[in-house]
Amino acid sequence: MGVIKQLPVYAEKVPGGAIVATSLESILHHSQACSLWYLLFGTACCAIELMATGASRYDFDRLGMIFRASPRQSDLIIAAGTITKKMAPRLRKLYDQMAEPRYVIAMGGCTVKGGPFYYDSYAVEKGIDHIVPVDVYIPGCPPRPESLLEGCLTLQKKIKAQKLADWQK
Amino acid sequence: MTKDELKAYIASRYSDKLTPLDLGRYDLLYAADAATFKDLALALRDDAELKFDYLLNLGGIDTKDHFEIIYNLGSIAKNHRIDIKLSLPYENAEVDSVQEIWPGANWFEREMWELYGINVRGHGNLKRFLLPDDWNQGHPMRKNWTAPDFIKLPETNV
Repeated sequence: MGVIKQLPVYAEKVPGGAIVATSLESILHHSQACSLWYLLFGTACCAIELMATGASRYDFDRLGMIFRASPRQSDLIIAAGTITKKMAPRLRKLYDQMAEPRYVIAMGGCTVKGGPFYYDSYAVEKGIDHIVPVDVYIPGCPPRPESLLEGCLTLQKKIKAQKLADWQK
Repeated sequence: MTKDELKAYIASRYSDKLTPLDLGRYDLLYAADAATFKDLALALRDDAELKFDYLLNLGGIDTKDHFEIIYNLGSIAKNHRIDIKLSLPYENAEVDSVQEIWPGANWFEREMWELYGINVRGHGNLKRFLLPDDWNQGHPMRKNWTAPDFIKLPETNV
């Protein structure tokens, strides 16, 4: 991505280059948003809804979302299910192994804030935002496939609203 | 062996070591002495009529006053079950390992040691496997235990 990121910066400096830069920005972010490959990270019952969303009735593929079993090939983690304190370092490791830009969706009450294990639990991490930065939270126990689709569309909107200037950081 | 036959057999042979406790409709429940339990367990397994060749489960209870350990024994050969309960003091609770009798006890005993802090004599491999490896916050299944991030469930009037 390095070259593509730098290109608009130089393109803007030549006369008429701003048009190229803007078009490139929109093409780049559109293609990013429409090919979000996600890492399968189903640890509890939310994974069942995730599977249902991936199956033919709800058809995740039409958003360009295909599951990958390797963090190296994914742009997104859908953390579906309870994350225990023992699982937390593994989630962080998988997140670190992903190439940038990377996104995280916290699916279900457990990943948002500990869910039904919020009280009296010694084993469950109370929210995965203690471990990785989260882009979209989807509450529910578990959320229906419609909610998950809504969450993914929200993430797409977020990606499309990005500016190339943000990339320079 | 049916439940009644089993009850009669145990009453005739092991009445000095196994004290019956009545729980009604569940499996037969007996109390035994923790200090001599290992010998008793071996005798129960090798008894030609009982043949308790299978340890189904090993559970602990914290009564806030003392610990109780329940061994759920089963016999695949004879198709019957009993439960045996041991009582241990709260401080320095210790019990003999029954791994030599039922090898499946290994992980149950490790779990018991990890979550309740009951020491198991003669186990030989008491290492953590349920809690995180760097856990140093005590034994979470004890009633008097609290974690730093523990949030008490609010009182309800239901």
